Amino acid sequence: MAILEISHVSKFFGGLAANSDVSFTMEAGMIMGLIGPNGAGKTTLFNCITGYYPPSKGEIIFKGRRMNGLQPDKVCKLGMVRTWQKVRPLAKLSVVDNVMVGALCRTNSLKVARAIALEQIEVVGLSHKTDFLAGSLPIGERKKLEVARVLATKPELLLLDEVMGGLNPAESEEIVRLILDIKARGVSQMVIEHDMKTIMRISDRIVVLNSGEKLTEGSPEEVVHNQAVIDAYLGESHA
Amino acid sequence: MASATTSRFSRSALIKLAVGLVLVGGLFAVPRYVSSPYALHIMILIFLSTIMGESWNILGGYTGQYSVGHAAYFGVGAYTTVMLMQFRQVPPWIGVWAGIAAVLVVALIIGSICFRLRGPYFVLASIAVAEIMRLSATNLDKFTKGAEGILATEIPVFIIGEHVVTDFLTKVPFYYIGLSLALLTIAVTWAVQHSKLGYYFQAIREDQDAAHSLGINIPLYKNIGLAISATLTALAGSFYAIYVGFVDPSTVLSLDLSVQIVLVCIIGGIGTIYGPVVGALALVPLSEALRSNAIAEGLFKSGIVDPASATGTFLKENLAHAHVLIYGILVVLVILFMPEGLLGFLRKLGARLKQGRA
Repeated sequence: MAILEISHVSKFFGGLAANSDVSFTMEAGMIMGLIGPNGAGKTTLFNCITGYYPPSKGEIIFKGRRMNGLQPDKVCKLGMVRTWQKVRPLAKLSVVDNVMVGALCRTNSLKVARAIALEQIEVVGLSHKTDFLAGSLPIGERKKLEVARVLATKPELLLLDEVMGGLNPAESEEIVRLILDIKARGVSQMVIEHDMKTIMRISDRIVVLNSGEKLTEGSPEEVVHNQAVIDAYLGESHA
Repeated sequence: MASATTSRFSRSALIKLAVGLVLVGGLFAVPRYVSSPYALHIMILIFLSTIMGESWNILGGYTGQYSVGHAAYFGVGAYTTVMLMQFRQVPPWIGVWAGIAAVLVVALIIGSICFRLRGPYFVLASIAVAEIMRLSATNLDKFTKGAEGILATEIPVFIIGEHVVTDFLTKVPFYYIGLSLALLTIAVTWAVQHSKLGYYFQAIREDQDAAHSLGINIPLYKNIGLAISATLTALAGSFYAIYVGFVDPSTVLSLDLSVQIVLVCIIGGIGTIYGPVVGALALVPLSEALRSNAIAEGLFKSGIVDPASATGTFLKENLAHAHVLIYGILVVLVILFMPEGLLGFLRKLGARLKQGRA
């Protein structure tokens, strides 16, 4: 069953097309990698999907429902939530309070929210930092906090925008394990990542964007051997 | 915040509760032992500042929307209550509900327009709206008597059944009303902080976009914050109007008042339950001392300065007039050296002392 259908989505900023005529379908339970050189329109597409920008053209269908024009909070309530490339911790709140804000999306009880939050904090491995202020965490733990917070909203589809950016190899490896763990729980994920090795390893399917357009789509195997992808990343002289 | 909920019945919480109850009991007993109208007046002003500060704190401190136009809600509450009493003989304890209703309408209009703006733009818009209210009250003189103001001469006697509760002729009833309202606003703030609302307000304050992505309906929760804040501010306005017995645009709708409300919070400690209380306790006596020239008197009495000397004459003549200046300098000092307000500073000091002992 398709959990997300992107059909002919374009987003214009003035005359600039950040996304133009992008279409693809994502099956439930899979990890979809979204790659492309800088400025390819990956984050813009995330913003369109999660309601931060209305797409200029095209449709976004989530679980059979048209999402165009829905605000991010409604999108989250329907089960689709994103993390931020530049992390956004609620700095003056503790780790557990941060995650509780996410959990309160599904409950009005602080007690229930706290229980959900503690559970998700354990999943991402931050239990030793529960009562620390979010603003005091180093970058690796902030990224984990970001993931715990979105998990607490009980999503069906998670959009991860460069959760491994700026992390050292050991930390990246932990996040990889976390992403695979989340997949094992049946949550679908769309992942933007720059590290090719990692994205090839975790993705079931990959969409490549370049200059706002979809260049190609396929299994990791197909994508690495695609001539257009190699050209886009390395320049045509290497072809 | 969260850790407090898990250890709700711990010993320190019980001690806090006991201290709180004794304090409140003591405050209710004060008028039995204190007969000086001036002392009661100062206490009433402290209560009033607390009410205003706590009200603003819900929108400014918790939700992070720095309104510098809270005089609009204060003034509309004050005017509605006084006008109904003076022109329609509606007793204030009924008029205040009309005041709250009027303020909620104003807040809804202001909220739906100004909450599209963020940061400094919201601040400017909130000032603009309050100024519009002030100018309207000044110029619609058929309706509000304009700059002349309205003198409340018809405060009715409060009777339940046959029993005269109070005739509002002394300061004592106002003391009790002020104290009750201050406790009410503190209780509301406590309830907000220990609920989903408090979490959502603070999430919006810390990062609006992140909050939005986590399922928080931003305009809805900002407007809820404003509604709570404006309602309590309207109560403060109504209370002030009946206590002082006079309203005019340049006091109850002034930018000065809006700034004053913000300062109570900033000085005391923003986004905390007791910050505004501390702010009121510091600012009211300070401004009274400066205004009444108590500082110059103190210097003379303690013999530091001879009242007959040149310095003495200078201080006697000028210190009272300079109270705004001194007040301003103190505010700047607090903001510079105690960014978390007096309460934050005292807490840090306490923590350091504890560490030193251990």
